[in-house]
Amino acid sequence: MLPFDHAAHHRAHEFLVAEAELLDNRRYDEWLALMTEDIVYRMPVTVTTSPAENGGAGGGMHHFDEDLYSLRRRVARFATEHAWTEDPPSRTRRLVTNVRAYAGECQAEWRVRSYLLLFRSRGDVRPSDFVVGERTDALREVDGELKLARREFLVDESVLRTQNLAVFV
Amino acid sequence: MNLEAMVADVRRGMIPATIYSDAELFELERERVFGRAWLFLAHESEIPEPGDYVVRRIQDDSFIVIRDEHGQVRVLFNMCLHRGMQLCRAEAGNTSHFRCPYHAWTYDNTGKVIGVPFHRDAYGGEEVLETRRTTLLPAPRSQSHNGLVFASLDADAPDLESYLGEFTFFLDLYTRQSEAGLEVRGPQRWVVDANWKIAAENFAGDAYHTPVTHASVVEIGLFREPKARKRKEGALYFAGRGGGTTYKLPANSFEENLAHVGYPEEMVERMARVWSPDQQALVTTPGFMVSAATVFPNLSFVHNWPQVNEDGLVVPFISMRLWQPLGPTRTEILSWFAVDRLAPDWFKDASYKAYLMCFGSSGMFEQDDVENWASITQMAKGQLAKRLHLNSRMGLDHEDRLLREPLETWPGPGQAFTGFGEYNQRAVLAIWGDYMLGRDPVGDAAPPSQPVDAVPR
Repeated sequence: MLPFDHAAHHRAHEFLVAEAELLDNRRYDEWLALMTEDIVYRMPVTVTTSPAENGGAGGGMHHFDEDLYSLRRRVARFATEHAWTEDPPSRTRRLVTNVRAYAGECQAEWRVRSYLLLFRSRGDVRPSDFVVGERTDALREVDGELKLARREFLVDESVLRTQNLAVFV
Repeated sequence: MNLEAMVADVRRGMIPATIYSDAELFELERERVFGRAWLFLAHESEIPEPGDYVVRRIQDDSFIVIRDEHGQVRVLFNMCLHRGMQLCRAEAGNTSHFRCPYHAWTYDNTGKVIGVPFHRDAYGGEEVLETRRTTLLPAPRSQSHNGLVFASLDADAPDLESYLGEFTFFLDLYTRQSEAGLEVRGPQRWVVDANWKIAAENFAGDAYHTPVTHASVVEIGLFREPKARKRKEGALYFAGRGGGTTYKLPANSFEENLAHVGYPEEMVERMARVWSPDQQALVTTPGFMVSAATVFPNLSFVHNWPQVNEDGLVVPFISMRLWQPLGPTRTEILSWFAVDRLAPDWFKDASYKAYLMCFGSSGMFEQDDVENWASITQMAKGQLAKRLHLNSRMGLDHEDRLLREPLETWPGPGQAFTGFGEYNQRAVLAIWGDYMLGRDPVGDAAPPSQPVDAVPR
């Protein structure tokens, strides 16, 4: 893990905070511009297992397993007038904490882990909900700018308590 | 509550809105529907190896669905025989035995007791407590069809085959595309604030919602079919304990229609080998391709064929889903991706991608479906909803006569219609009504496909 005063840690942290701002304000086109062409964006299904079987991601099933094409389609859908589930939109707050940067496989790529607490409020009737877990990201420098090349979000719940994942993690 | 009158209203398609929220009615459903019907638990491909298990529920009853060391699939009540602890607390895994954390009574993976601490000292040994004849309580009934494991809490339930009835004709189209059958991934699990029946009805027959609810997925070019005209020309069918919707495809050939939705030649050849001439005829001349379907009460299927990459590759996917009621206004959804086991790897990957984009917890179709179901459920909680009968009479005139004739040349069993109509939603709720009144809807009863005594005009 890189020390907290390392320049790479600062850049990574700044990237994640800026990304959260874009998502919480539904600035999805700008968010998509943060992705590399070969982005792999995954959220595996968490399965409760015995300690010996080590819990975690199970069965090769995901909530998200996206490439740039499918992320673009999801964003394009929100831009139509018929994405009912986000009409009116959720109010979201992404708290990104416990950021740890690691030296990457190549010089221009870092592995970054962080905790995400995503608070979601919709409408005036239903209770709010949370999506909470840990991200493991690969950030890559492309033409002097940091981009997201890979994200794996391990959600803490095996049974999600949010109506759907019409929000990004 | 006058149950007879309520069921009579439901059968003529005037649905008391309160059936989607009423707590008293839900208690009755738990006993009369979920205590008696055959319920889906798992697919055998989830537990391929000896010792593999998953833990699933029927209402509050937890079951271990396990492949024992001899390869036999068993459904065991997950409650220790000694003091009643939940024996297995994981959702899935592999084990030779289960040991209760309370006092260490231990069971092998067939459910038999193999260890009781201080058996001789404390219990007087085999002469008193005969462990060799003691096993975990099995589900009162459990049977499989095409690898789908079902159980019933009713020891007197009819056989699964009689229960499913002629719906098995259509079940094959989803679950038997080759001799090898399905393999599944998942499930994704999430909880929604909706009544389970709304989901079951929607999948059984609601072709009318597709062009509206799912307008966005057509606009973004993800799925080209759901335009109103194509949905209207598809057939709605009901047979045995289930029904579903289809799309009308353009060609007059089995091969061309399956190629149109993205099946490669080798898979089409296998379907031609394992499907009966009538099953093939459904796809051939009328060109009907199955889409959503429901097996009463709470198992549904969906088969769609979206575009999975920028190059325009169209690939079909199959999903199975269980609408597991947690209460009158809360449902856990378990959603599996399913694919033929002999499909080529590239197809399995692309089909998985197709599934994730369309259905499941993040699916772009499902997002908008659940929005509707949660909203209906919320509205159904109020005082005025108790006075309102929802109009589910599409396809019937004032005298309960059919506005259209059923198809004469339908190659499958049961009854089918083209054009929009709420025949299947009424059929699902007619079966529900029978169970709620304590009648036996399977037995010798007439097929419930026409719940009101409809007379052709």
